[in-house]
Amino acid sequence: MIGLLPMITTYLAGSAAAIALPGDRGRRVAQALAGAGALLGLATALSVIGSGKAAVFDLPSSVPALGLAFRLDALGAFFLALIGLVAVPAAIYADAYTKEEAPPSGTPGKAAPRSGRLAGATLNLFLLAMSLVVSAANVLAFLFAWEAMSLASYLLVVGDGEKAESVSAGRWYAGMAHAGFGLIAAAFFLLAARAGGDGFETIRSLSSSPGPALRNVVFLLALLGFGSKAGIVPLHVWLPRAHPAAPSHVSALMSGAMLPIGVYGLLRVGLDLLGGGPPWWGGVVLALGAVSALKGVLYALTEQDLKRLLAYSSIENLGIVFMGIGIGFVFHGHGRADLAAVALAAGLYHALNHAAFKGLLFLGSGAVLKATGTRNLEEMGGLIKRMPQTAACFLVGAAAIAALPPLNGFASEWLLLQVFMAGASLPEGLTAALMALAVGTLALAGGLAAACFVKAFGIPFLALPRSRAAEEAREVAGSMRFAMIALAAACALLGLAPSVVMSFLARVLGGMPGVDAGGALFRPGSVLEAPQGSSRIAPPLLALCLIVVIAALVVGLRLLGVRGRTRLVETWGCGRTVQTSRMEITSMAFAEPLRRVFAGLYRPTKDLTIGFHPESKYFVRSITYRSRIRSWFEEDLYRSFYDLLRPLAASGRLIQSGSVHLYLAYIVAALLIFLLLGRWL
Amino acid sequence: MVSFLVEPLQVALTLLLAPGLVGLVRLLKARLQGRRGAPVRQPYRELVKLFGKERVVSRNASWIFHATPFVVLGTTLVVALLVPLLAAPLPLDGVGDLVVVAYLLLLGTFFLALAGLDPGSAFGGMGASREMTIAALAEPTLALAIFALAVGAGSTNLGRIVARTLSDPVETLGPGHVMAFAALAIVMIAECGRLPVDNPATHLELTMIHEAMLLEYSGPHLALLEWAGHMKFFLFLALISNLAFPWGVAVRPGPVALAIAVLALAVKVVLLAVGLAFLETQVAKLRLFRVPELLAVSFLLALLAVTTSFLVR
Amino acid sequence: MSADLYTRLATLASSLVLLSGIAILWRHSLQAYIASFARQSLLFVMAILIVAVGEKDPRLYGMALMVFALKVVFIPRVLRRVQRHVGAEMEIHPYVNTPVSLALAGVLTLLAYAVAQPVVALSEAPTRGGIPLALAVVFVGLLILVSRRSALTQIVGFLVLENGIALLAVLVTSGVPLIVELGVFLDVLLGFLVMQVFVSRIRETFDTIDVDRLRGLRH
Repeated sequence: MIGLLPMITTYLAGSAAAIALPGDRGRRVAQALAGAGALLGLATALSVIGSGKAAVFDLPSSVPALGLAFRLDALGAFFLALIGLVAVPAAIYADAYTKEEAPPSGTPGKAAPRSGRLAGATLNLFLLAMSLVVSAANVLAFLFAWEAMSLASYLLVVGDGEKAESVSAGRWYAGMAHAGFGLIAAAFFLLAARAGGDGFETIRSLSSSPGPALRNVVFLLALLGFGSKAGIVPLHVWLPRAHPAAPSHVSALMSGAMLPIGVYGLLRVGLDLLGGGPPWWGGVVLALGAVSALKGVLYALTEQDLKRLLAYSSIENLGIVFMGIGIGFVFHGHGRADLAAVALAAGLYHALNHAAFKGLLFLGSGAVLKATGTRNLEEMGGLIKRMPQTAACFLVGAAAIAALPPLNGFASEWLLLQVFMAGASLPEGLTAALMALAVGTLALAGGLAAACFVKAFGIPFLALPRSRAAEEAREVAGSMRFAMIALAAACALLGLAPSVVMSFLARVLGGMPGVDAGGALFRPGSVLEAPQGSSRIAPPLLALCLIVVIAALVVGLRLLGVRGRTRLVETWGCGRTVQTSRMEITSMAFAEPLRRVFAGLYRPTKDLTIGFHPESKYFVRSITYRSRIRSWFEEDLYRSFYDLLRPLAASGRLIQSGSVHLYLAYIVAALLIFLLLGRWL
Repeated sequence: MVSFLVEPLQVALTLLLAPGLVGLVRLLKARLQGRRGAPVRQPYRELVKLFGKERVVSRNASWIFHATPFVVLGTTLVVALLVPLLAAPLPLDGVGDLVVVAYLLLLGTFFLALAGLDPGSAFGGMGASREMTIAALAEPTLALAIFALAVGAGSTNLGRIVARTLSDPVETLGPGHVMAFAALAIVMIAECGRLPVDNPATHLELTMIHEAMLLEYSGPHLALLEWAGHMKFFLFLALISNLAFPWGVAVRPGPVALAIAVLALAVKVVLLAVGLAFLETQVAKLRLFRVPELLAVSFLLALLAVTTSFLVR
Repeated sequence: MSADLYTRLATLASSLVLLSGIAILWRHSLQAYIASFARQSLLFVMAILIVAVGEKDPRLYGMALMVFALKVVFIPRVLRRVQRHVGAEMEIHPYVNTPVSLALAGVLTLLAYAVAQPVVALSEAPTRGGIPLALAVVFVGLLILVSRRSALTQIVGFLVLENGIALLAVLVTSGVPLIVELGVFLDVLLGFLVMQVFVSRIRETFDTIDVDRLRGLRH
């Protein structure tokens, strides 16, 4: 048993080192310590899951007033492991990635190391805060760590505050994070007030006593609060702004590790502390997840910015995770402990897989960004020849996220499909029909994701370079490639060994009330089994079949004497002589058919300008076509919300004067009011 | 002992019969249209001819372009291992179910689309874009059709679906069953690039979908991809006929049962092929942007199949 | 005919009636609408025949014959004549486009299942599996009425609606008393003839049968 202390001290040491050590050394040591801390966290998490004993960490008794308690149980350990899975490669990657990332203009040299050191310190704090959120054992500790996590990630997004894009993204992020924090705090305070104590243990023991109305309110508050962190539609607005603005290893961490913490919170509050609820809770979660999955992938498809594309795809994947958790809550509400276990396991399995492939893809996009200096897909192309290893890793990630067998994305989506099919056995006829819609949604999201990632791999890596920068791209440093290869291997292993993952998940979910994890999840051998054993697949055998068949094909053709000389020529082009990259299909054109099919949802604006020759209308000089898609739904939603809020804010300005004395007077007045309230209530 | 020979036999049958089936459909269509048409063996000759030619490869292409024919043919052959063509359940029954079959085909499509983008030709990119559009929209229909079949059998396992239909012959007339297969048939038309979604005979650049991606391929590579396309068509027809009407499939594989199974499969597939030839002679190709409407119809069919099978249950 | 087979065939026929109604939402030409309606009526006749065999009720044969004469032969013929008279028009811009119409049809079918569930649960009729489908046919008829512009399509929608009601009646009671059915037929016939005249008048006035133009009458 390692306990939490080594991990915490390593992270703290990392932060301290970043500030204390001079020059570039601070940054490098801090990143190395972040990796070491993440590794320790991973080890702790695995030992907690393996032994079934929680790791406890109490603050020294000399600071009792803080009242923070930490206890890492199996559920928290799963998410700690997930953080470790992304954080270790990300820390390795960060070393070369953040080197000389100084702005080319202005004052090079001086500014860069300082911001690099600061980022190193914040990275450690961010990882520490995430780890503490999942090991918090009382409300105060949870909220404290949660806020620290939001602040640290805010600082990482904003960076040195020099880019307008980052600052604007940070503003959105801070706003949404705090709104979410308020909702979560409200949910927790309602529970704690009812239980008469803020320890999770106390709340849990009273979990059945609060009335249904209060339970519903707490659940909905928690759903909104945690949903905003997980990027669930319509609370996802910060996500496509914040992810691209952050450095790529931080994007990987935010997407792979931080978004699932929203899922953790929902499970902790909804299932662990409240002990589950009526089926409609699950229905709401399922519906939100389905909408997020579709909306995320549809916007990912039309995106031209590689990192924004990945950010939208995170919305899709978290939507899929929510669908699994939601159907789990439905089963739980119906008292089907065995089905609930498989459904929740499917959701968590997908969260784990998402951490692996989205971490990989963000690191890959960072490598491309580092090599070409752009995130715009239309300026890339042909990178597979210039960056072969990055390309191979990115291809693995793209295939995994498109749920192609035998990689990991397929395993979890298969299980989720099976869970929905099992949902047809629920007594209500309409539930069964809704299961059909869920299956359709999941499959449509999967198909669109495949189209999206054909684009996300094909446009930047294949064909001819579309810009000079892409032409001059070089493969990135060895440590960055190592991190990507490690995550690519994780994608393959998580897909090929589903029984190992499931036996872990059986332990993780074992402690949940009303979830029969042991009986439903564990299967010997390397098979993945549908609920109630209705169907099974064996991914390793499937992979073996594929490899054997393809090898047999290659050998068979050789033996049959099919050699065929290979002659290299220009691409055929209807008789024109030179091929340039301008003749290739663009990222936007690739998505055009689907844009037209879903035009009702995108509501694109079109703007066509044709410049005619002054002499005759029959000669066209130039054609400019501009089409833009905006996320009209949220813009309208937030606009109306903002319009509602502005008068209030304006009236709030009355009390602002800038005078220090007046502010002090406010504090005194507030103090007096609270004292009086405390006296009377 | 015999049971282990079933799967190699299935693969061999698929490899050998698929081009013949395509030749048969072409011949039937030609006759229906008043042409003489090429003989059934023509696709075999084309394959042999292509295998003997040199590869003409674009300078821009990467290893993806060279790997794709093997991946596409490989996934198709693995599907031939999993689908109950002659016997049910197969020895490899536990390796993959109907969902795996669907996603294996998607794996092939994924690589084919990448290979279409690889040489940087405008046509290849356009074909890839269209192919992925149709594949993405066909996916929910396929999943729902699988769901409808699974609800009846209580499983997505291919062996169990076949066994269930064999045990309850009246079920083949149930609305869930009929509509699920109508939906599957539309998916087959979309996935295999048949009329009215795509014209398999066209070489007019602006109308083609599947062919546009293969435009840069030549020689043995092209032969592999053509062969894989024939096999996909054969497997889809065989899958539909054996799931819809599984009689003839060997339950206990022995030499006689297998011989009967081969014969039954041939009869069923040829019947479906005749029907398809009639259909393709009747209809004209749809505009690309009406294809989603066709797939919406098929989605609706599958949805109805699922809901009716609940109520009749 | 075994009871199991009877149930399945009746449900199958009902779902085919529904599908031929949905086909109208998918097609674009008025000619296809009329053909679809004739096909739907034919399938309805088949449904009646299946119930007739299943229930061994000879009166239903008579009803099937009547429906055949009226809805498969007579009404489509008149409709075709009207359509030729007004010229081969297409339903070009329906208020709701095709994919959305189809999606709505799916939702309406689910709704029909939800609404019909108590009825199905109470019913003992072997044909009860088709009840929600018949209800869905009614909904689809309404959808056609609401979402399409041409007056001729509106008539087809109305007729589909009527087919749904008649199918519902046949399935719920396993056969309708002949006198009730006769009344309904006369109603339909009368309504149909009135509408036909109506269409001719619209065309003479506006030179098109787009009912949207009727808005112009307000001014």
